[in-house]
Amino acid sequence: MSYVLAAWIIVFATVLIYAGATMLRGRRLARQVPPERRRWM
Amino acid sequence: MTDTAVTTTGSAAAPTGTGSMGTRVIGLAALVGAVFLVLLGLVWSPEDITQRELVRIMYVHVPSATIAYLCCFLTTIGSVMFLWKRSVWWDTVAYAAAEIGAVFMALACVTGAIWARPTWGTFWVWDDARLVTSAMLFLLLVGYLALRKVPGDPDVRAKRSAWLGLLLVPNVILVRQSVEWWRTLHQKATIQPTQLGAEMDGLMLFSLFCGFVVGTLVFAWLVIHRFRVAWLEREADESMLADAIAERRAEAIDSGTGGDPFGPRTGEAFG
Repeated sequence: MSYVLAAWIIVFATVLIYAGATMLRGRRLARQVPPERRRWM
Repeated sequence: MTDTAVTTTGSAAAPTGTGSMGTRVIGLAALVGAVFLVLLGLVWSPEDITQRELVRIMYVHVPSATIAYLCCFLTTIGSVMFLWKRSVWWDTVAYAAAEIGAVFMALACVTGAIWARPTWGTFWVWDDARLVTSAMLFLLLVGYLALRKVPGDPDVRAKRSAWLGLLLVPNVILVRQSVEWWRTLHQKATIQPTQLGAEMDGLMLFSLFCGFVVGTLVFAWLVIHRFRVAWLEREADESMLADAIAERRAEAIDSGTGGDPFGPRTGEAFG
């Protein structure tokens, strides 16, 4: 079971860290771009 | 915490991050699905007759590899469209998908190695076609990302990356077919399109299916966010360049060169 837990923890932790880092990067970059050039819709 | 700032007049202003209503819905669905997948994959589904508990690794390993393949397809499509239409939008899609693809290909290799240790007695073997082609695909994705970081003209960089991006789908086909074309330690595909899940227990098959659904939601969420980050990177670069040119022009006007940032041009200077 330790191999199973290791695999699941690695996958979930990596995805969460990557998703968090992507969101933080987006927030940081959004501050550098004028508001009229960062509309998604 | 909201992603949209509200002005003093009450109207919604530009978003302060890469989130939107659509990504919040997808993100919430992915989180709920992930909790359900944990219960299903680790608690409710039975163990396998031959693999025992280790079959539970498949519920994260197979979807990870599938997401990586999806990303490779998206990168190649983006590359083709960029080379055809010269569209910045498609180039950004290709870049965003490649980074996510590299992350999930690494996860597929690591979880596969964790499964292999108790099953084969070793984490990795170099004479197995599936393992070697998977490692090749990961290195190709890393090479693509390295090429994106090379300083220089963005258009030339995008064109070079797009040519490399074209190689990803042929590589995915090579990885997928490696177990059919060569004799490998890695088993053949359990789920065949002609006999869907015939060799799997119903709950095991459902767990795997849930893994695919959650994986697809995570893939969609990540691609949208990563695309927006790449778009903002491009906008920030352009904004910085525009500011630098304006600053240089203002300096030139102040120093009396008539607004020409390169200074006065005399006949002597240019021969």
